[in-house]
Amino acid sequence: MNYFQLFNIEASFDVDLQLLSSSYQTLQKTVHPDKFAHSSEQDQRIAVQKSAQINDAYQTLKNPLQRAAYMLVERGVDMPNEQHSFQDTSFLMRQMELREMLEDVRHSGDVEAALLEVQRVLSTEYLALSQQMRVQISENNAASNSAACDNLRKLKFYQKLNVEVDRLEDSLFEDE
Amino acid sequence: MAYSEKVLDHYENPRNVGSMDKNDPSVATGMVGAPACGDVMKLQLKISDEGIIEDAKFKTYGCGSAIASSSLVTEWVKGKSIEEAGEIKNTAIAEELALPPVKIHCSILAEDAIKAAIEDYKSKQSK
Repeated sequence: MNYFQLFNIEASFDVDLQLLSSSYQTLQKTVHPDKFAHSSEQDQRIAVQKSAQINDAYQTLKNPLQRAAYMLVERGVDMPNEQHSFQDTSFLMRQMELREMLEDVRHSGDVEAALLEVQRVLSTEYLALSQQMRVQISENNAASNSAACDNLRKLKFYQKLNVEVDRLEDSLFEDE
Repeated sequence: MAYSEKVLDHYENPRNVGSMDKNDPSVATGMVGAPACGDVMKLQLKISDEGIIEDAKFKTYGCGSAIASSSLVTEWVKGKSIEEAGEIKNTAIAEELALPPVKIHCSILAEDAIKAAIEDYKSKQSK
């Protein structure tokens, strides 16, 4: 049973998050420890394991990048090893620029405006890539799946950048 | 996890940070990235007509181990021929910096950066 079947939702990248969440809660109730208070130790253990599996499945489908990775792996797409280095030069040059832009925020005359501008640029580029990936996943053929893989790897760089942005924001405004 | 002294040394005093003109025909640029951690590494080599690396610069956004790996590589490649530089293995980098297993990929990234730079140089030469 795959994760979509587990929650009884359509196997699509465009997950109905409300439906997913309500189905998750319903399922979790069926394996709640209270229900197994008088069961054998073995049944209790199985319930705990199931609860953990349901939780894993939920977290995977809830997060768009994890969901994409899960769908591609389920389709048998050969995902490049995460440790494998990425060599799209123009993309990486852009990543350098974005990181330099982020570095400059601290020294900018108007820190708040500079930070907002970085966030705007990042979210625009993230959105464009994730839209592409969404279409590629729905096309579901060998070429589009491999292109989706590529975009997924690119999106991870943006995910990392967003973490850096949050960290910077915290450090800039923590005293206020 | 504690960084080794050598990593800290390179991290606090990185060698050869900077950029060269990537359009200069004698400058080779290697760009590599690691999706797992979002690290981005740029290694640039200035190569003489005889194929000797005269200068090296790097710019890396990433963890201490990634910065130390690329900093170390710029020291190692200077004065080497491109063939010799292409033989530098990540295991040697990892050993020199005493990288823990979870940081081995940083040394792989540095090795791949050298290879990417050499590729860039060869494609520039064949033009």
